[in-house]
Amino acid sequence: MVPIEYYMVLSAAVFCIGVFGILTRRNALMFLMSVELMLNAANINLVAFSFQNGNLTGQVFSLFTMALAAAEVAVGIGIILVLYRNFDDVDVTKATTMRW
Amino acid sequence: MAGAFDFAPAIALLPFGSFLVALFLGQYMPKRGALAGIIATVGSLLLSAWVALTVAGGETYNEPVYTFVAMGENPIQFGLLLDQLSALMLVIVSLIAVLVHVFSLGYMNDEGETGLPRYYGELGLFTASMLAFVMSSNLLMAFMFFELVGLCSYLLIGFWFRRDGPPSAAKKAFLVTRFGDYFFLIGVVAVFATFGTAQFAGEESFPHLAELALSGEGQVTTMFGLGAEAWFTVVGLLILGGVMGKSAQFPFHTWLPDAMEGPTPVSALIHAATMVAAGVYLVARIYGFYALLPTALAVIALVGGFTALFAATMGVVKREIKQVLAYSTISQYGYIMLALGGGGYVAGVFHLTTHAVFKALLFLGAGSVIIAMHHNENMWDMGGLKDKMPVTYYAFLSGSLALAGIVPFSGFWSKDEVLYETLVHGIGTDGGLGVVLLLAYAMGLIAVFFTGFYTFRMVLLTFHGKPRSDTARNPHGVHWNVKGPLAVLGVLAATVGAINLVPVHALVGSVPEFLHDWLYYGPEMLNGHHYHELITAGEFGGMSAGELPGLGETGTLFASAGISLTVALAGSALAIALYRGDSPVEHTDRLGSAKTVLFNNYYQDEYQVWLAQGLTMNVARAADKFDQGVVDGVVNGVSSVSLFGGSRVRRIQTGIVSNYATLLTLGLVALLVGIGLMGGWF
Repeated sequence: MVPIEYYMVLSAAVFCIGVFGILTRRNALMFLMSVELMLNAANINLVAFSFQNGNLTGQVFSLFTMALAAAEVAVGIGIILVLYRNFDDVDVTKATTMRW
Repeated sequence: MAGAFDFAPAIALLPFGSFLVALFLGQYMPKRGALAGIIATVGSLLLSAWVALTVAGGETYNEPVYTFVAMGENPIQFGLLLDQLSALMLVIVSLIAVLVHVFSLGYMNDEGETGLPRYYGELGLFTASMLAFVMSSNLLMAFMFFELVGLCSYLLIGFWFRRDGPPSAAKKAFLVTRFGDYFFLIGVVAVFATFGTAQFAGEESFPHLAELALSGEGQVTTMFGLGAEAWFTVVGLLILGGVMGKSAQFPFHTWLPDAMEGPTPVSALIHAATMVAAGVYLVARIYGFYALLPTALAVIALVGGFTALFAATMGVVKREIKQVLAYSTISQYGYIMLALGGGGYVAGVFHLTTHAVFKALLFLGAGSVIIAMHHNENMWDMGGLKDKMPVTYYAFLSGSLALAGIVPFSGFWSKDEVLYETLVHGIGTDGGLGVVLLLAYAMGLIAVFFTGFYTFRMVLLTFHGKPRSDTARNPHGVHWNVKGPLAVLGVLAATVGAINLVPVHALVGSVPEFLHDWLYYGPEMLNGHHYHELITAGEFGGMSAGELPGLGETGTLFASAGISLTVALAGSALAIALYRGDSPVEHTDRLGSAKTVLFNNYYQDEYQVWLAQGLTMNVARAADKFDQGVVDGVVNGVSSVSLFGGSRVRRIQTGIVSNYATLLTLGLVALLVGIGLMGGWF
């Protein structure tokens, strides 16, 4: 059996890649993907601990998270579409008209 | 069986009904609401008479009608108190109201006035408020109707609101009486706070509780660390503030002469039976309270005596017939106050009664003259009206003789008793109170002279001599609806004194003193006998009746009557001597600068206007500055600091989502590092 630490390291690595993507990318689609990565890093944790404890609740929970992620992507893509229509670009740093 | 008391609420509700009818349906009725008013007031008069007969049979009534605020043992209630005093007053008020309604047919309808439904509506509400005030069983209810009476007088004085004078006079009447009513309101609250009840009658009434507290048998809560008597005096004087405002006593008398701007029948109603009478009636109503307080009595007597003299001197120089009557009203109410303050409860009520009759008569007579003169009120344009309008002349003469206090007209008997009571109590009482009463008596006595003078000056200028203008040569005729009320009141003014012929009673014991007996055998603690005991008790009023040296009681009575009659005759004779003949001249011009002072009402208006404009206005302006500058400044300052800070602080928002994400991440890292350091991971 793979020890729990490996899963943790994997999950942390995936999460950090996601954070790195959000902090460095300007393309909204890349943003969305990075958010997905972070969500899935959390999923890995849930599944790993659930397996460790012999309890299925965490795995069921991660299924919910995936369904949620799908819905989130649908909304996110919609937002990106509107962003493109209004600014002719998907660069998130351009859309600053609502600040004050 | 339903008795008179079961129908008593209708005495006030009938005129209230006529108010509604005249206001909403008056436009469609043949006399524009006058008939509704007449029917309602006649109904009130009949019911009042029935109540008076029932009271004469020895029954009285003091029951709540409607509970206003239910609170514990002493709920705030509307109730009816029907005893000898209120029954008498009910009859007076409704009688005058009937006559004024009838007279209005001649004064308003026949003269083609517009807005008559409003007029009759207000008249109905006025009558209803006054009747309800008279029947009130507690001070709070009395206060409410007191205010309603004030409101109605405001509306009626300002009836001709399109002219310049009446609205201003109405506002003045309203504001001046309101100023007094502030004190009254505080007094009502103080009575509640002190006694927990404001009932007029019964074991739990506040005069009775005050009596118990002063004789050491009861406990009350006083304020400001004052003793019971001092505190009661303060409360009594606060209530007296409202009384002085309504009854136009110095220095709150200035509204009354201006109130002459209203229609003349209204003046009759205001000055004879309602508004002005409300004040002194209130003192009589709670006389059991005032009788305990010698200081308050001294103030009442002094204010009354001073007002009687003060107003009478101003009446001497006036040119307009209604102005003379206005000042005589102030003066006569001064006498009533003098009587009440001087320990003459019966005398005060007696003068209230006779004055209601003869002053209503004089105002209605003046109204008749004004109709005849095409609404010219200047006496110097009149003259010679005696032959043209005999009914008015003889009725007016009867009222004038009563006003001047000439025997045997009603005013003589009552004014004489007022002065007699004050005199004997002044002589018999030791200390400051006795001196004050004697001083007040002296002022009242001098006022008798002026009263006789201005009364006969008015009569001679109006009715005698040769006509001094074209309108006076061809006066407008008056109808039955003017002559009828005048005739009724003319007869009454001559005879109503018979209800209390004190000097005759002293001479011939078989002639009864009806009013004296009537008021002396009222319900327990509300009758003249009880008041007399309180007045004369050493620990309460502390008065005692004395007599002139070497004359005895009866001798003093006749001496007092003789003095006042002589003085009245002297004043009248002087006026007759000066103003008789075909073309009298203005002798008061010889007074020189004194006349200017009198004609300008001792500059009372000026100083009150100065108080309002020079003093109060500046204080208000300073307060406004403080409010606008300091209070609002602080509030506005706080808000502009926030606004400025906000406008700067919001610049840190870039709107770039990556920056927010960076901040979030940095925050998370900082949190983790912080928790790590605190938790000792490293």
